[in-house]
Amino acid sequence: MLVFLARRLAFFVMALITSSILIFALIRLAGGNVASVMLGKAAKPEAIAALSKELGLDRPLPVQYFDWAWGMLRGDLGISFRTREPATSLLLERLPVSVPLALAGMILALLIAVPVGTYAATKVGTPIGAFVAFTSQVGIAIPVFWAGVLLSLFFGVRLGWLPTGGWVPWSASPIDSIRSLALPVIALGLVMAATLSRYTRTAVLDVMNEDYVRTARASGMTKRGALLRVGVRNASLPLVTVVGLLAAELIGGTVIIEQVFSLPGLARMVLDQVQAREVIVVQSTVMIMVAFVLVVNLIVDILYGVLDPRVRVSR
Amino acid sequence: MSSAAEGAMTSHELASGGGPVPTGGVGRRVLGNASLVVGVVMTVALVAVAALSLVWTPADPNLAAPADRLLPAGSHGHLLGTDALGRDIASALMVGARTSITVAAGAALLGVVLGTISGLTAAAARPVVSESIMRGVDILLAMPGIVFALVLAATVGAGVGSTIFALTVFFVPSFTRVVRAAALRVLAEDYVTAAELYGRRKVFILARHVLPNIFSVLIVQFTLYFAAGILTEAGLSYLGVGVNRPAVSWGMLLKEAQDTVGVSGPLAIWPGLAIVFAVLGLNMLGDGLRDVLDPRLRKRSS
Repeated sequence: MLVFLARRLAFFVMALITSSILIFALIRLAGGNVASVMLGKAAKPEAIAALSKELGLDRPLPVQYFDWAWGMLRGDLGISFRTREPATSLLLERLPVSVPLALAGMILALLIAVPVGTYAATKVGTPIGAFVAFTSQVGIAIPVFWAGVLLSLFFGVRLGWLPTGGWVPWSASPIDSIRSLALPVIALGLVMAATLSRYTRTAVLDVMNEDYVRTARASGMTKRGALLRVGVRNASLPLVTVVGLLAAELIGGTVIIEQVFSLPGLARMVLDQVQAREVIVVQSTVMIMVAFVLVVNLIVDILYGVLDPRVRVSR
Repeated sequence: MSSAAEGAMTSHELASGGGPVPTGGVGRRVLGNASLVVGVVMTVALVAVAALSLVWTPADPNLAAPADRLLPAGSHGHLLGTDALGRDIASALMVGARTSITVAAGAALLGVVLGTISGLTAAAARPVVSESIMRGVDILLAMPGIVFALVLAATVGAGVGSTIFALTVFFVPSFTRVVRAAALRVLAEDYVTAAELYGRRKVFILARHVLPNIFSVLIVQFTLYFAAGILTEAGLSYLGVGVNRPAVSWGMLLKEAQDTVGVSGPLAIWPGLAIVFAVLGLNMLGDGLRDVLDPRLRKRSS
C-alpha cells in the first residue's frame, strides 16, 4: 500500500509540473509578447518595455517560469497590473461561492445517478429501462446553461420560489445564500447526473454478467440481494474512475452555471480577467483549476487502491 | 488483402447510412435499431439545414432592423420572430447550425487523426514511449477543455480558429486512449502474430491490419465527439470566449438573449432546443452505429 501511495503521489507531482509548464508555454507561445497583449494593439513601444520590465517579462523564460511556479507554491498568484490587487485575495473572495456550488452539484449528481443507473440496469429490456435510458440520453444533450435558463424560467419567473440570479453573501444571510445557490446546484447536478447514470448502468450491467453474481443468484439470492451484497463494491470501481474524469467537467460546468445565474464566483473573475487581458492572473487561476482536478484524481486513485486490492499490486 | 477489403466494406456500409445495405444481417440490424434510424434522420436534417444556409436564409442574421425588434414567432417574414435588434431568429439558427458543424466536426476530425496517430504509436511502440504517451494523456485529461479556451481567449483572442484548436486539444487525449485500447485488441489477434512471423514491419501491420479493423471504432467515436464538440462550443460561445459576431453560434445567441431580454421569452428557448436536437441526434446515431458495427459491445451495453 505504501509503494502504491508513493507511486500515485509521484504521478501527482509530475502531473502538476507538466501541466504548469504546458500552461506557461501555451500562454507564451500563443500570445507572443505578454506585455503587448495586456496593453492592447495601440500601445507605444516604450509603455510595453516599461511594463515588461516591471513584471519581469524581460527576463529569460525559464527564470520567469520558476519565479511564477515558486510564487504559486507560496500562494502568490501574481498581481493584477491594472488594479494592483493581489490575485490571491481576488481568488479567495470567490471560493465561498464556487466551492459549495461545485461540491453540492457533484453530490446531487451522485445521489441521482447511482440509484437511477442501478435501477435502469435491473430493468434492461423493459419499457421502464428504455424510458430511463432515453431520458438520460436527452439529459446528456442538454447544455448546462440551458438547463439553468429553463429552471430559472420555471422556478424563478413562473413560480417565483427561488431567485433567478444574484448572490447574497454567507455573512449577510446564510439562508438567502443557499437560496441563491439552489437553482445553480440543481442545474449542474441534473446535467451531470445524466452522464453519470449511463456510466452507472453500464458498470452495474457488467457486474451482473460476472460469474460471482451468477453464483450468488444460484445460491438462492434474489437479483437485488446479489447486486447489493456482491455487486455494489465491484460496480463502484469504474464509477470512482468516472467521478475522477467528471472533475474536469465539473469545473467547466461550474464556470458556465455561475455565468447563467450571475454568481460572483471563480468564473466571473476569470472571464473578467480574460476580458481585461490580465494574462498572468489568468495563467495562475487556470493553474489552480487544473490543480483542483489533479487533486480529485489523486483522491480517486487512492480510493481505487482501498476498494480494490488488485490495483495496489499491479500498478 | 482480405482485411483491407473488409475495411472498405465497412466504410461503404457507413456511407450508405440508413439506405439499402447489401447483406441481409446488417440490413436487419440497421432497420431494427431505432436509435440508429432516428439518429440518422435527425443528423441528416441538421446537415441539410446547415447546407441550405450556405445558399439561402430568410434574412441576413446580422442585419439589424430596429423597427422590427422582438417580433413574436410567426410574424410576417420572420418565422421564429426577431431578437432585440430586429435580427431574424430563424436565419441565425440556420447559420448557427453551420458554425456548430464546422467547429465540432472540424475539431472531432482533427482529434481523430491526431488521436489515431498517438494511439497507434502508444499501442505498438516500445514500453518507454508508450508509457510516456499514456502518462501525458492522463495529465492532459485533467485539464478542463474550457481552460484551454480561456487561455487562448486571453492571449490570441476568441474566434472560430481558437475554438477548434481548444476543442482539439481537449479531444486528442481521450481519442488516444480509445484508439490504443482498440489497437491492442487487434494486435493480440492470430493474424497479426502470423504477419509478424512472416516478417512484416510494424508500420505495415498497423496500416494493413490494425487501422481497417478499428475503423468502426473511429467512426463511432467521431460521431460521439462531434456531439460533445457542439455542446462544448455552445458553452464557450455562451461565455463569450468562443465564436463571436459576425459568425453566429447557438451558444452566443443564448447569451445575447439573456443579456438583452433576460431569460424569459422564446429568444432563450430556440437556441437551446437547436442544441439539444443536434446533440441528441448525433449521440443516438453514434450509439446506433456502435450497436450495428460492433455486435459484441451490443450485448454489454443494451
